[in-house]
Amino acid sequence: MKTLSLRNLQKTYFDPYAGSQVTAVHDVSLDVEQGEFVSVVGPSGCGKTTILNMVAGFIPYSGGEILLDGAAVKGPGPDRGVVFQSFALFPWKTVLENVGFGPKMRGVPKADRDRIAREYLELAGLSHAADRYPNELSGGMQQRVGVVRALANNPAVLLMDEPFASVDAQTRMTLQEELTRIWQERKPTVIFITHDVAEAVFLANRVVVLSKGRVLDQIKVDLPRPRVWDHLMQDETFKRLSAQVLQMVRSA
Amino acid sequence: MSIVLKLWSLYVRGTNRWPVIATIVPFIPVVALWSIAANSGMFPRAFFPAPADVARTFVALTYKGILPDYLQDSLIRLLTGATIGVVLGIPLGLLIGSSKWAHRVCWPVLLFFQAIGDIAWLPILLIWFGFGLTTMTFVIVYTVLFPIVLNTVLGVESVHRDLARAAQSLGASRMRVLWEVTLPGALPNIITGLRNGLGYGWRALIAVEIIVGTSGIGFMMFDARRAGSTVEIILGMIVLGTLWYIVDAWILAPIERATGRRWGLVTS
Amino acid sequence: MIASGQRTGSKTPGSGWVWRTMNSLAGAAVFVAPLLALVAIWAIVVPLFEVNPRIFPSVASVADAAADSIRDGSLIRHIGASLLRVGLGTLIGVVTAVPLGIAMGVSPAVSSFLTPLFRFFSVLAGIAWIPIATLWFGYGFGAIVFVIFNAVFFVVAYNTLLGVSTIPMTIRNAAASLGARRWALLTEVLLPGALPNIVTGVRTGLGFAWRGLIAAEMIATNVGLGYMLFVARDFYRTEVIVLGMIVIGLLWLLIDRLLLVPLERATIERWGLVRRT
Ligand SMILES: Nc1ncnc2c1ncn2[C@@H]1O[C@H](COP(=O)(O)OP(=O)(O)OP(=O)(O)O)[C@@H](O)[C@H]1O
Ligand SMILES: [Mg+2]
Repeated sequence: MKTLSLRNLQKTYFDPYAGSQVTAVHDVSLDVEQGEFVSVVGPSGCGKTTILNMVAGFIPYSGGEILLDGAAVKGPGPDRGVVFQSFALFPWKTVLENVGFGPKMRGVPKADRDRIAREYLELAGLSHAADRYPNELSGGMQQRVGVVRALANNPAVLLMDEPFASVDAQTRMTLQEELTRIWQERKPTVIFITHDVAEAVFLANRVVVLSKGRVLDQIKVDLPRPRVWDHLMQDETFKRLSAQVLQMVRSA
Repeated sequence: MSIVLKLWSLYVRGTNRWPVIATIVPFIPVVALWSIAANSGMFPRAFFPAPADVARTFVALTYKGILPDYLQDSLIRLLTGATIGVVLGIPLGLLIGSSKWAHRVCWPVLLFFQAIGDIAWLPILLIWFGFGLTTMTFVIVYTVLFPIVLNTVLGVESVHRDLARAAQSLGASRMRVLWEVTLPGALPNIITGLRNGLGYGWRALIAVEIIVGTSGIGFMMFDARRAGSTVEIILGMIVLGTLWYIVDAWILAPIERATGRRWGLVTS
Repeated sequence: MIASGQRTGSKTPGSGWVWRTMNSLAGAAVFVAPLLALVAIWAIVVPLFEVNPRIFPSVASVADAAADSIRDGSLIRHIGASLLRVGLGTLIGVVTAVPLGIAMGVSPAVSSFLTPLFRFFSVLAGIAWIPIATLWFGYGFGAIVFVIFNAVFFVVAYNTLLGVSTIPMTIRNAAASLGARRWALLTEVLLPGALPNIVTGVRTGLGFAWRGLIAAEMIATNVGLGYMLFVARDFYRTEVIVLGMIVIGLLWLLIDRLLLVPLERATIERWGLVRRT
């Protein structure tokens, strides 16, 4: 059952410095199934962030449509959770308050939303940090909070724009493994944007390759789960798929 | 030599224990020098009174109740003006900071009116409202308002765009975003604005009390000036300086630092 | 927009320059437009509600007042007197405060001892000195310059002290281990390191000084912008008062744009430094 579909999506920016129009997204159509994990890769400037921002409702689109469960998307809303590259945690709220923010906006009473928040912090292995402020956490911990904060709101789709790009390589691998585990437990629908081809293949059921504002190709990833790096690193299928995607990106 | 070092070490340890000492001790040599200079007869006593004279006047005026009354008058004026300034300034700053159009329209006007400055308004205010409380309050509000508005706008603009987006995609309405994200994000700047505003505000108050002149510390100082009584002028300055030092160094500055630090908004 | 056709054209340096100039002109227009709108509202409201000229003047009467006072030279005289006082007081203040601040800031012990003292005098700086200044120097030039001088002096000295004493020891050590001796340490490390704070001090001090100037001129002299305003009040000449206020506003904007903002650009923003508190 498909939950999100982009139809002939198009976006044109006006560049005030050059005084001209720039088309960032030409014509993108994409269907995402319920509970699917889709990675989106493509060279820098191909329009990945633009697409994600349109789906999130942060910027308006110039043509085509975005349907979520059959209804057109308009503006940001709690049905689409977003995980930011910059983490975007509220510095003046504790970790617990950050995670409980979505429920709070729905009017969930304090005791209940604290319980929900604790449950999700448990999921991310962060129970001990509940009362700390974001700037007292490491980058990796901050992004774990970012992920569960979005999840705690039970969104229909989770949108992630290079969420692990600003943490170190070690932490990144741990976070990737944790994300696949959480995905397996909860089965959220995810659109995951990344530069990192291995990351895309490791996480996804399907990898979408973009080029110059269009969909260049898509590849199904049928690797078994649970996925762990120790194992997959040697895996022939994984290597082949990664090489294939990499080739496409570089030719894009 | 070693006795000097010992004293120094005593002083350093003492200030670690009671930071107040570090604030008070440096004034001792200054007062001593002042006392020596005044008693040396270099300057006429009427022009340059000694610390003891000032202390005596302080006791006398406090005893008579004049000083406490004037101080109270001044503080209430400042507080009233500052409160109105804050109540008007923060919403105005939030509006201008979060709307491109309001920003375009209001920013130049704000800069211009800020440039005119509070005290230049006095003559026309005196024509409009006469010598009275309205004039004084207007000037204080005017002084406090601009630093708060301008700093609130800066604060709003300094809030990372992703924070507002995150709140929105977690289901926050526009008003909720304002309350949960924009306001706390701008808070350190707002407090900076308040601190600057109060700094300008009490100076304006002194000027207004001198010119409008019915009561208050500024009035006391200028009244003394007319009578040629230096003692009361210097007493007024010391009271003002001490009071303001306490408010600024022990209340405003720590709050400013605390909000910024705990949240990691300021790295210093 | 029409501009889309010029896309390739805008790459050449010549038309890029034209584009930039047009942009900055447009920026200036956007800045001035709200102010002009304000004048327009003023021009409409005053005749419409038949506002008493003793309450608020019409645009025309202010323009007349401006023309008159320019013709008889009084406006220039007042502006000149005010600017001379501010300029002189500020100059003496900065020239004496910076070396003193640096000298005191070099040794951590001395600077931490002196900080409260300078803080005390910098919170007191400016207007609060008017009564004693007029007593010491009499009404007139000396008293006003003194008020401005001390507004600038204490604030700049305090900020310099703060700036020098908070330069990280590692930077001083780095310079020393690279061979910097006394003088070089001063000119290469201490002075530039404290510069953002010095500039902040100059801005704050000048702000106090400017207000102190207007206040002092209302109280203690017979020439200058503050005096011009205050005398006009005696005769209910609101058009002169409003003219004076506009002149004061414009002068401060000029000081801000031509002096303070470039200073901050060249130090604080350029070096990506933040001022330390
Ligand atoms: N606000 C904007 N105004 C004008 N052009 C923009 C704007 N945002 C993006 N663009 C342009 O749109 C194109 C796509 O940008 P986008 O940020 O979506 O790329 P991306 O695929 O996310 O790149 P990266 O991998 O580097 O993050 C780029 O050419 C960019 O210059
Ligand atoms: Mg991007």
